[in-house]
Amino acid sequence: MDGIKFVLELVLPLLYLCTVVAYALSFFKQHQFAKRIKTVLLLVTIAVHLAYLLVRTFQLQHPPIISVFEILSLLAFSIAASYRLLEMQTKIKNTGLFVLSIALVFQIISSVFIEDVYEVDKVLRSNLLGIHVLSALLGYSAFTISAVYGVMYLLQYRSIKSNKFGIIFENLPSLERLEYLTKNGIIIGFILLSIAISIGYVWLPTAIENFSYFDPKLIGTIVIWGMYAVEIYLIQSGKRRGRQVMHLAISGFAFTLFSLTIINMYLTSFHLFIK
Amino acid sequence: MIHLLGINHRTAEVAVREKIWFSDDEIRLFLPAVKEKFFDECFMISTCNRTELYGVTKAEIADTTTEELSTLLINEVTTTKHASPDVNQKHFYHLQDIHAVNHLMKVATGLDSMVLGDVQILNQLRDHYALASESKVSGPVVNKLLQSAVHAGKRTKTETEISKGAVSVSYAAVDLAAKIFFDLSEKKVLLIGAGETGELTAKHLVARGIGKLLITNRTLKKAEEVAASLNAVPVPFETFVSTLSDVDIVISSVGATEYVLTMQQLKEIVKGRKQSPLLIIDIGVPRNIDPAVNKFENVFLHDLDSLSQIVERNHARRRTCIPSVNGIILEELNEFNRWYLSHAIAPTIDHLRDVYDSIRKEELDVHIHKFSEKDKEIVDLLTRRIVHRLIQLPASELRNGKGDSRQQKEMKLQVIRELFGLHHHHEHLDTNEENIGEE
Repeated sequence: MDGIKFVLELVLPLLYLCTVVAYALSFFKQHQFAKRIKTVLLLVTIAVHLAYLLVRTFQLQHPPIISVFEILSLLAFSIAASYRLLEMQTKIKNTGLFVLSIALVFQIISSVFIEDVYEVDKVLRSNLLGIHVLSALLGYSAFTISAVYGVMYLLQYRSIKSNKFGIIFENLPSLERLEYLTKNGIIIGFILLSIAISIGYVWLPTAIENFSYFDPKLIGTIVIWGMYAVEIYLIQSGKRRGRQVMHLAISGFAFTLFSLTIINMYLTSFHLFIK
Repeated sequence: MIHLLGINHRTAEVAVREKIWFSDDEIRLFLPAVKEKFFDECFMISTCNRTELYGVTKAEIADTTTEELSTLLINEVTTTKHASPDVNQKHFYHLQDIHAVNHLMKVATGLDSMVLGDVQILNQLRDHYALASESKVSGPVVNKLLQSAVHAGKRTKTETEISKGAVSVSYAAVDLAAKIFFDLSEKKVLLIGAGETGELTAKHLVARGIGKLLITNRTLKKAEEVAASLNAVPVPFETFVSTLSDVDIVISSVGATEYVLTMQQLKEIVKGRKQSPLLIIDIGVPRNIDPAVNKFENVFLHDLDSLSQIVERNHARRRTCIPSVNGIILEELNEFNRWYLSHAIAPTIDHLRDVYDSIRKEELDVHIHKFSEKDKEIVDLLTRRIVHRLIQLPASELRNGKGDSRQQKEMKLQVIRELFGLHHHHEHLDTNEENIGEE
C-alpha cells in the first residue's frame, strides 16, 4: 500500500504535466494528435488522482485534509474534475491549458512537500466533516476557475481591442462566454462556501472541544465569504461589467489564496487535526 | 484507362466557363450519350468554377491516341453546348489515370478551389455523383473514385485547418462579432450606408441568425430598398445615433468625407449602455467613424485594415496546411491504387481460370471413365483444388508484387496473356504507388 501511494505521488505530477502539455500543443500548435488525446489524458489523470486520494485515506485512516499540502492535492483534483464537467457542459475544449496549469502547480507543490500523518483527531471520522470539507474545496475550485476565466477574458479583450488576431484570439471563446463562465464560477463558489460555513457553524461547536468563534481560519473564511458576497452584489446589480468583473474575480482569488496560505502555515487553529 | 477532360478558373475566364456550364438536366442527357460513344462508365461535375468529365474508356477505343480522344471529347462537349468557336482546345485540360485521380482529390480537398480550402465543392461532388448514378452511367471505378475523393475531402475538413477561418473581409467581420458575442441571435445590428461590402457583411450576419437588423442611409428610399431585401428595419439617417443605445454591432460603409459618428456623440451613448459591448466595423474609405472611440471601455472599433489582418492570417494558415492535405491525398491515392490494381487484373485472372478449367474438364472427359463412381467425385474435387492453387500463384504475385514499376506489372500481365492466349483483354495498369509518390 505504501509503495502504491509513493508511486502515485510521483506519477500524478507527471500525468498533470502530460495533460497540460497536450492542451498546450493543441492550443498553440493545433496539434492533431494532442487534440485527440488531451481529454483521454485528463480523464486518466482524474482517475489516478481519485485512486491516490482513496489509497491515502485508507492507508492513513483519515481523509486527506490534515495539512495544507493534502488540501492542495484535493484542490488540484477538484479543479481538474470541475473543469472536465465544465468542458462537457460547454463543449469548450480550448481553455484546459489555463485551468489545468493551476491544478498542475498545486499538485507539484503537494507531491514535493506532503508528509504522512497517522495520528489525527477522532473528529475526522465524522460524515458531516466530509460534506463540510467537500463543499468548501469545491467552492474554492469554482473561485479558482472563475479567476482563470477572468484572466482569459482580459487576454481576449486585449487582443480584440488592439487588433492582435493571433493564437489567443483564435482559440479563446467569446468575451460574453468568458464573462458568463467567470460570473457563474463566483456564484457557484459562493453557494458552496456558504454550505461549508453553515455546516461548520452548526456542527463544529458540538464536535470540537477547543472551538472558538475567533479562530483565524474561521474569521479568514468569513472575510472571504463576505468579499465574494459584495462581488456578487456588484455584478448582479449591473454596477460592474466586463473587465471590472474579471478584476474582482482575480483579486478575490488572489486574496483567498493568500489568506488561506497564511492561516494554514503560520497561525494556530482548531482546524489543525494533527495530534 | 481513366480520363479527365476539364475546364476551370485557372484555364478559362468566367465568360468562357459559363458557356460550358451544364445544368442537372443537361448532365442527365449528356452523360448517357457520351458513355455510349467513349466510356464504360463516367461522371461529370459542373459548377461556376469548373466543368469536368471523368470516364473509363471502352476497350474498343484503346487504340485511339490521347490527342485524338481529347479532340473527340472537346468536340462532343462544345457541340452539345453550342459553344464553338468561343471555347476552344486551349481552354481544356486532359489528364489520364493517376493524374486524373490526383486532380479529383485536389478538387475534393479544396486545393484546386478558387479560394484555397473552400470545400463547398464536397457537397457538389456528392450531388453530381448522385446524378451519374441516377443516369446509370457510373460503375465500379467511378464509384470507388468518388468514394475515395469524398473521403479525402472529409478527412481534410476534420484533420486539417485548411477550410477554417474567414478569407473575405465580410466574413472576417462576422468572425470578429463571434469573438465578442456568444449568441448572435440575441443581437441587434445597425448597417450605416448601403455600400456593397457593408451589405454583404450584413447578409452574412443575417445568415448567422442575427436577432434584428436596422439599416440607415442618407437616402431613405435606398435604405428601404435594401431593408426589404434583407428583412430589416429602415431608420432615417438623421436619427440613427439614438438607436445606438441598444445596438450591439454597427457596420458602416458610407462614402463621406466627415465622420458620421464622432467621439462626442458616442460619449453620450456609452454612458447609457451600462458597459454592454459595442462592436463597430468601419469599412468606409475614408473612414466613417472617429478612431478615438476605440478608447471607450467595451467599445471595439475595427476598420478595413484590421479585417484584412484577419483575412491575411487565415490565408497564411490555410497555406501551411497544404503539405498535410497532400499527405491525405497521397494516402487516399495509394488506397485507390491498390483497389484499382486488383480491379484491373481481375479479368485476366478470371480468364486464366477459365482456360485452366477448360483444360481440366477436357482431361476429365477423356479419363473420368477409368474411375469408380465414388472416386469420380474425389478426382473432380482434387482437380478443382489443383486449378485453384495454380491460379493463386500468379494472382498473388500480380496483386502483391510490391516495388514493381508500371512497366514490370504491365509486362507480367502481357506475358500471362501471351502465354495463355488471352489477347482480347486489354487491362491497363497505369496507376501504381511509384507514380503516386512522384505526384
